[in-house]
Amino acid sequence: MENLLANSPEHRTQPAAVPNGATPVLQLTNIEKVYQTKTIETVALNQVNLTINRGEFVSIMGPSGCGKSTLLSLMGLLDEPSSGTIEVDGRAVTSFSDKELANLRNLKIGFVFQSYHLINDLSVVDNVEVPLLYRKGMSGKERRQRALTALDKVGLSARTAHFPGQLSGGQRQRVAIARALAGGPEIILADEPTGNLDSVMGEEIMELLMDLNRRDGVTVVMVTHDEQQALKTERVIRFFDGSQVS
Amino acid sequence: MLRHLFTLIWNRKRANLLLISEVFFSFVVLFGVGAVLITVGKNYLAPHGFNYEQVWRLEVRAGQGSKMPRAELDDVLRQVKALPGVQTVALTSGNVPFIFSVNNSEFAYKGKKSPVTNNYDADDHYAEVMQMHLREGRWFAQTDDGSNHRPVVITQDLRESMFGDEPALGKIFTYGEPGKDPKPEDEFQVMGVVDNVNMESDFSAPIPAVWKRLIPFDTTHWETANVLVRVAPGEGGILQEKIARTVAGVTRQWTTEVRVMDDDRLHRRMFTLVPVVGLCLMGLFLIINVALGLFGVLWYNISQRRAEIGLRRAMGATGAGIGWQFLGEMMVVTTFGVVLGSLLAAQFPLLNAFDLPAQPYVLAIGAAAGAVYFITALCAWQPSRLAAAIQPAVALREE
Ligand SMILES: Nc1ncnc2c1ncn2[C@@H]1O[C@H](COP(=O)(O)OP(=O)(O)OP(=O)(O)O)[C@@H](O)[C@H]1O
Ligand SMILES: [Mg+2]
Repeated sequence: MENLLANSPEHRTQPAAVPNGATPVLQLTNIEKVYQTKTIETVALNQVNLTINRGEFVSIMGPSGCGKSTLLSLMGLLDEPSSGTIEVDGRAVTSFSDKELANLRNLKIGFVFQSYHLINDLSVVDNVEVPLLYRKGMSGKERRQRALTALDKVGLSARTAHFPGQLSGGQRQRVAIARALAGGPEIILADEPTGNLDSVMGEEIMELLMDLNRRDGVTVVMVTHDEQQALKTERVIRFFDGSQVS
Repeated sequence: MLRHLFTLIWNRKRANLLLISEVFFSFVVLFGVGAVLITVGKNYLAPHGFNYEQVWRLEVRAGQGSKMPRAELDDVLRQVKALPGVQTVALTSGNVPFIFSVNNSEFAYKGKKSPVTNNYDADDHYAEVMQMHLREGRWFAQTDDGSNHRPVVITQDLRESMFGDEPALGKIFTYGEPGKDPKPEDEFQVMGVVDNVNMESDFSAPIPAVWKRLIPFDTTHWETANVLVRVAPGEGGILQEKIARTVAGVTRQWTTEVRVMDDDRLHRRMFTLVPVVGLCLMGLFLIINVALGLFGVLWYNISQRRAEIGLRRAMGATGAGIGWQFLGEMMVVTTFGVVLGSLLAAQFPLLNAFDLPAQPYVLAIGAAAGAVYFITALCAWQPSRLAAAIQPAVALREE
């Protein structure tokens, strides 16, 4: 269905899934996150309830320090909430072990960061293979094949043997997106993916993410400070001081 | 994953050069110390080829300018042997076991040269005093008095080098450079073959040896005589005094000192032990230094790679997986250092350095490699655990 919509611009602003028939991929209920240090206690998230549906492209906005990255790290199973439950595909992950969480991240989630986080001493294609190294039973040949396919998708087929230091910021972020894609995730979590890029390159990255969402049905949750970008997405969630305001 | 680690280490070879060279350096030091220890230990475990226990040596002196006619010397030996507690008495040359006195030469048989060989003079009772083990033939005896050549007994290693698989008994050999017309006493006839002997120190390798029969006329120009005495177990100072008095009693001017061969052995042992212990301490000190350095570098590396660790965790690595990865990286680095070190170490047996057998070197390479892997694993253990404990959420924070 999404493939049919992909090429018709007039459908772009409409939700990909009808709310009634929507399948939640991520569900956060009564989430609270408190950072406890020796001297101070920071409430980063306060009573957050949020559902992300399959195929959605959601952007998260809010002033600095309001808890956007914290929210993303909880959605990405990188951290545990102080209270509340997180469900992935309808299953609560509260009691999951380190190993089960790692496996779930590997299979379902792709991350894109503001500062790319490429490993500078690995070539582009080796970087893209990293998540596949943690997938059991995948042969080296298949890893390479998948990495090349992902690089093709982001338009970097000609740069596979380069090292990150030899690429522009926009190209680096595309490598990072290819890396997030290589494992075939259901969800891509992107924390200010265009924050380090100028507007032209930022636009390219935004187009790429929207393309992945439309064509491949990948669910995207993106933190951004850019109002223009946010308006292009299906849903904008606004945060203020740890709470959802819209 | 292993290939990934090799790629990572290889691409970071410049940054890892310090670590690799530290590993290389430790390996070479451990190899050197190991080769010495293995050689010394092997020698220590090898039998001496004679029994030094309950053997005393007498240094009998005739006194200022006086000589020692054989008849008087025989009288002294007879009286010492007659003392209760004395079992056997033998006459030998000054280079008795465990003291710093060497007398060696090369020999030849049909143009085939022997290695450098220790020469000893010995009388007919020597083998009994030293409890040597005859493999072939017999020790000299009175019946050899009429021999046209000098009767000798040789060690197994000398036998192998000169005669190989051929029979040795009865063969006649000469010095390496015999000259035109060798005297009959410079033509040596093999009467027997004994086990290899190590008469230098507990830590030396056996050296080929030949014992030449002392012929009666030999002693007339002597000023000192070296006498070996085997005594009954438990004999001590009282018998030593009795021996000294007995020697003085036979001829007024002669004196003797009584030394215990086991004391000579322990004294000599210190001369090897002290440098070996020094070498070990130095090696240990260096290794501790290297280990501390390694530990520091690894610790620093991990703090530098927090973002990468967070990223890998986000991509699906478990905490334990990260710990293993860092341990594995160190093992790969160690492998580079060990391979380089082994290439250097292998030159010793290949070039036959120091004329030593290859086996201790090969063992030392193995031991040094094992020790280096152990040390680096130990150093990497704690930093790897630290890496494993880094939370995946840092990926979203580290810039
Ligand atoms: N590890 C931590 N320990 C203590 N406090 C933390 C930690 N991580 C985040 N915080 C605090 O939690 C709050 C939310 O931080 P978060 O990084 O989620 O903000 P953000 O919305 O992503 O900000 P920005 O737009 O600047 O990236 C902040 O007040 C921050 O100081
Ligand atoms: Mg943030």
